[in-house]
Amino acid sequence: MKEAAFAFFSLFTLLTAAGVVLSRGVVYSAFNLVLSLFGLAILYLLWGASFISMIQILIYAGAIVVLFVFVVMLLNLEKPQDIAPPWIRGILTGVSVWGLCFILLRVFSRSFGEMPSVEPQKASVRMISQLLFSQYLWPFEILTVFLLALIVGIYMLARPERETPHESP
Amino acid sequence: MEAFDYILSISKVVLILVGVIQVVPIMIYVERKVAALIQDRPGPNRVGPLGLFQPIADAVKFLFKEDPIPLNTNRFLYTLAPFLSLLPACLVIAALPIADKAILFGREIYIQITDLDVSLIYILAIGSLGVYGILFGGWASNNKYSLIGSLRSASQMVSYELPLGLAVVGTVMVYGTFSLREMVLQQEGTFLGFLPNWGIFYQPLGFLVFLVASFAETNRLPFDLPETEAELVAGFHTEYGSMKFATFFMAEYMNLATMAGLMTVMYFGGWHLPWVKDSQLLEWLGSQNLLCIVQIITYIVKVAFFLFLYVLIRWTLPRFRFDQLMELSWGSLIPLGLINILLSAVIMYFTGGKV
Amino acid sequence: MSLLEKLNSIDYWTHFVAVGLFGLGLLGFLIRRNALVVLMCLELMLNAVNLVLVELSLKTGTSEGIILVVFVITVAAAEVAVGLAIILNLYRLKKTVDIGVFKNLTR
Repeated sequence: MKEAAFAFFSLFTLLTAAGVVLSRGVVYSAFNLVLSLFGLAILYLLWGASFISMIQILIYAGAIVVLFVFVVMLLNLEKPQDIAPPWIRGILTGVSVWGLCFILLRVFSRSFGEMPSVEPQKASVRMISQLLFSQYLWPFEILTVFLLALIVGIYMLARPERETPHESP
Repeated sequence: MEAFDYILSISKVVLILVGVIQVVPIMIYVERKVAALIQDRPGPNRVGPLGLFQPIADAVKFLFKEDPIPLNTNRFLYTLAPFLSLLPACLVIAALPIADKAILFGREIYIQITDLDVSLIYILAIGSLGVYGILFGGWASNNKYSLIGSLRSASQMVSYELPLGLAVVGTVMVYGTFSLREMVLQQEGTFLGFLPNWGIFYQPLGFLVFLVASFAETNRLPFDLPETEAELVAGFHTEYGSMKFATFFMAEYMNLATMAGLMTVMYFGGWHLPWVKDSQLLEWLGSQNLLCIVQIITYIVKVAFFLFLYVLIRWTLPRFRFDQLMELSWGSLIPLGLINILLSAVIMYFTGGKV
Repeated sequence: MSLLEKLNSIDYWTHFVAVGLFGLGLLGFLIRRNALVVLMCLELMLNAVNLVLVELSLKTGTSEGIILVVFVITVAAAEVAVGLAIILNLYRLKKTVDIGVFKNLTR
């Protein structure tokens, strides 16, 4: 039962991810992205990592992709402006990407294959937060400063253009 | 798990979902009657005694109306959008604890569909997915008013999720858990000897922020900028008719019920009667199942109070302007939420864990 | 171990999904010309990494991987916000979001 659910949702994630890449319209890409991220969240939930699963939905599907859709609708791109690359280049890219992926898969099975498999543990919220606020306190604080810098940066990028001041004669 | 367990949990899902959907017709009737009362007119009074069958007439009307699809629209997303907004509204209900437990067929049954250890974040996360229905609906309608409505909705939802989340952090700090069931279990008895032991007395500021943000999250007046009928015809659902429109409507009322339920659970003691402990009540009543029924009724009364508050505010307050809406979120609610977290932390530090 | 047996073990399956996700993201990143879709593909690649991190963290019974995922998600949110602001500015400049047009950044 659980294996079947697992297989179904991993296929779902992969198919919708392919939808992101192959859709003609940007809105369809965004829609597929939401579904793909949602599928990943369900995979996490099936493993028992419920906290990270909910964070995934809350931040990725609930905030980041909303921003994407917002910008897509703001620009309101009428015609699909996507120009496919020359197909020789496309095929070369595809072959090299999937070659890289094959190597990655081999590396994974080599290096993680011999790891002692512990009984999968539930990562409770309490465990995560204790670690986050003791051992990883400094990275956490640096991240907050980073976010502050980010807010200032985005304000500078997005502020309305100032009118040129009148030159004094 | 045995087959019996599956049947039990499926019937629990069906019963609770059907129960919560009853909010929709009741709210339609109450909303029209209260609006009529405030505007000094009789309201619905033709169908049945006191117009009580008006919701049925409405439903029949919606079912048999023509279902137009405008030209040059994206048919797939146009049809999907209403269900994208109804689905999260139904999913969210799974985490609300309605009452403690009943004893049926010789086993304890919790009156809650499932108790995740992160059910509070679950409600916020799934609730935030409801915006996609509005976004895609407005975009697929191929109508400028709808598009503006859904753009407003997106920025409003993103802005008001922040104060909602900040208000919730205070509650989580007080109770030390994300599980709504455990939160309710901790709200039993009295606080300082004369108050009910409810979350609102620990988190008054947080409750205020949560209340205001929940109005905006459910697109209710005074924050219904996505569907301002004076400026945008009807906002994101301008082009929708028949059952598709009714689906948007149902989603809105179910979101209201969820928000009211969440406020009851976090700030008003969930299923607990004020001042009375469950163990005392059990002695008086003598049976766990009777206690469970009393708890369900208590919960429903509390939720009904908040739903009535929503209706009352809708018909008494004027609408905000869009820049005022943004100013309220970023300028007042988010700083208030941060101050609430800081105050809670300081007080908890000095009182040693409890506020 | 035959491929079928490998696919039966959940670990291998996870790596398969993660690598597939990463590959799709990389492919989209390289062949798509729409700047918005390119950003989305970047998100797909980040999610593939998250998947492996969560799986390893649960497998070894430690929370380090999950904390790393929390950091990655935060930075990804930040990255998207900046990226979209830049795309909006570019659109203001050239009235298109085709990245081929932005080979030279002069007006």
